[in-house]
Order: sequence, then C-alpha cells, then structure tokens
Amino acid sequence: MARSAALGEPGQNEGGHSRLAVIVAGAVAVVAATPFLRLLHVGSADAASKAEDERILQLVLKLEYTQVAFYQQALRHASLAGELRRFAQIALGHEQKHLGAIQTALGAKAGPKPTFDFGANTKSPDAFRRSAIKLEDIAVAGYNGQATNLTKGTLAAAAEIVSVEARHAAWVRAIAGQVAAPDPVDKPMTAAEVAAGLHELGLRTA
Amino acid sequence: MDGDRNLDRFLARVDRDGALAEAGEDLEVALSRRRLLGAGATGAIAVLLSHAGLARASSGLSKTDVNILNYALVLEYLQASFYTEAERSGALSGKAAEAARVVGATERAHVRAFLKLLGSQAVKRPSFNFQGVTEAQRPFLKTAVAFEDLAVAAYKGQAPKLQSNAVLAAAIGIHSVEARHAAWMRELFGITPAVRAFDQPASREQINRIVASTHFVAAHPNMQGRANPQYTG
Repeated sequence: MARSAALGEPGQNEGGHSRLAVIVAGAVAVVAATPFLRLLHVGSADAASKAEDERILQLVLKLEYTQVAFYQQALRHASLAGELRRFAQIALGHEQKHLGAIQTALGAKAGPKPTFDFGANTKSPDAFRRSAIKLEDIAVAGYNGQATNLTKGTLAAAAEIVSVEARHAAWVRAIAGQVAAPDPVDKPMTAAEVAAGLHELGLRTA
Repeated sequence: MDGDRNLDRFLARVDRDGALAEAGEDLEVALSRRRLLGAGATGAIAVLLSHAGLARASSGLSKTDVNILNYALVLEYLQASFYTEAERSGALSGKAAEAARVVGATERAHVRAFLKLLGSQAVKRPSFNFQGVTEAQRPFLKTAVAFEDLAVAAYKGQAPKLQSNAVLAAAIGIHSVEARHAAWMRELFGITPAVRAFDQPASREQINRIVASTHFVAAHPNMQGRANPQYTG
C-alpha cells in the first residue's frame, strides 16, 4: 500500500469555505438596482454577465432553500436511522452552508424563503430515499445547466458546490442499494425544468 | 525518481503547445462542424456536445481547449486503465466488483469521447504500472478514492479556463459524474462520501505532483503509436 498511501487521504480536511461570497459580492453590488424580474427565465441566449450571475444565484437560492427544508423536515418526521440519518444530517449541514454562501453573495437582493409542502416525501425512510435521490439529481442538473451562463469567477464558485451535490446523490443511491453513478455524463436541466422538479417535490411559493 | 522525471516530461509534453500545435492547420478540419455532428450520433457526451452548441463553434477548438482536453484525456486514460486492470485481475468481489465494472465503463466512454473530439490532436495513451493495487480489494478501493477525488479537483480547476461553451457543458457534466464516482468509492471503502460543503479545485501542478508521486505512469510511456480510437481499456 506504500504507493497508494502516497496519494494520501484526499478531501478529508473539514472547514472548506466558499469563495462565492467574495467573488459575487462585488458583482451583485453592481447590479443592485436591477429589478428582480427575470428569475426563472434562464435559457435565453444572453451572454454571461454579472446580472446573469445574479439571476442564476436566485435560482440556486431556491434550490438550496428547498434542500435545507427537505432535510430538516425529513430528520424530524421520516424516522431516519443509521446511515440514512447520518447522510441526512451531513447533507443538511452542507446545504445550509451553500444557502448561507448564496445569501451572502446576493445580500439584500436575496429572494424570500419559499414555503414547502413535501407531503409524504419526508414522512418515511423509503419515501425520503427516493425523494432525496430526485432532489440531489435536480441540484446537480440545475447547477450544471447554468455553467455556460455564468461568468468564469462565479462558475468556479458554483463548481465547488455542484460536485458536493453529486456526492450526495451518489451517496444516497449507494445507501439505497442502487448503482450510484448510472450515467457517463450528467445531463443538465433548464431553469424551468428545475422549477418543475422542485415543485413536484414540495416547493410551493417563493 | 526516474518515474517522476518521466511523468513530468510526459505531462509537460501534454501541457506544452509544441506537439499539439504542430498540426494546427488540421485542427479546424478535424473539428469541423460536420465531424462533430457525426460524432454526436454515437454517445451521450457527444450528443451533449452537439446539443450544447459545439456544432455552432465556427472555428473549431481553441489551442487552450485542446490543451485542457488532452490533459483531461490523460487523467481519463489513467482511470480507465486502472479500472480495466482491476476488473481483469479478478480480485474484486461483490459491490466493489460491480462499481469497478460500471465506473470502468464510464471512464472508457470518457476516453472515447475525448479521442473522438480531439481527433488527430489527441495525445497517446501512456503505459501504466499500477504496482499491485489493482490486485486486491482494499488497495483498489483506496486508490480509486484517490483517483476520483483527484479527477473532481482537476476538472474543477480546468472548467473555468475552457473557452468553448460546448466543451464546458460536457466537461462540467463529466465533473459531476467523477464526483459521484468519488462518493461511491468512498462509501465502498468505508469513509464519508461527502466530507466538505465546498469541494476545492486543484491546479495542474498539484495534480501532476500527486500523480507523479504514485509512479503509476510507467517509465517508458508509449508515445509513438497513433492514438487508437477503438481503445477500450
């Protein structure tokens, strides 16, 4: 094992922080006067811009709000135990940090916290597992779908988040006994597809 | 440290424009719209590329993108060979064997996609010597964790530098798949699949240093033959 030991144990240091706030704070300040109108209109041919970054951040803000609420409710009501519970706790911690970073980046322009009705999705371990797989896949596809619309600095920050969502997706699939990474490439989703997917899981208003 | 020196030389060759730029005139031909659309019919990645608009790129791939794609190709060669060798060793069982089969097939698909995309600009596959880690389950899993975490960090480091939106769309879709692999291998190895809230990127220099430290790239990489598009591991 000497050889592979040389590779060390990557990724084990806790406390990674987001460059998102630093990178985007300035950008958002620039567009602070822009009306909060074009949300959920992603997919237009607009080139990446600071205004576009802000619009996309509002989209992923909803995504992260949904994830935080989903894991919080599941931990209260889904009778989670064992590794599934540990997964939910760790994922919740990550989503809270993502949410915080995006809120910081958007500052006063951050959209309001939505309301949710997850129904049966957060009421049992089986339903939670199925829904968590869907939600994490939506998160991956949602971030990936915006990659080409973001300015490079914000893309770099978003890339630090999306791979964590992908790790969650694989983890909960593995817990469910499924093939954890079924596709050779993750297909992106448009903002409209993300919104529809979140609504199906329990996002109600924003 | 011959292994280190040879790998550095090899990766330096990948990084430098020299060899890649020699056939610069051929590049646009190789990556013409027609060719890319043809490639788009054969695989999910190629389909994504064409959907993402690579076909609209009027002047083919930039030198920067070719350089980055070749860098990614080397990492994919490394992973594909690793999983293929592990599968063939017969040393894996149960969930690890299934994961190696699935992930290996994916990494081979990544190699094929990059070879197709790069055409005559693709760097050749080096020879690898995994020094026994593919011949037992625990060393295999530990190395797989390292490779996958490394791949996530590498793609993350390069993605913002890509110039073509179509290539970026494909690379970012591969990046998250590598993260799924990393989590899966971590789960199988028995460590937390998602440790941090924010995954950090790594520079080429960092990646090169880590890969060199493994001595997995053989002393005499096969740089002479043509890249074989039929490569299956």
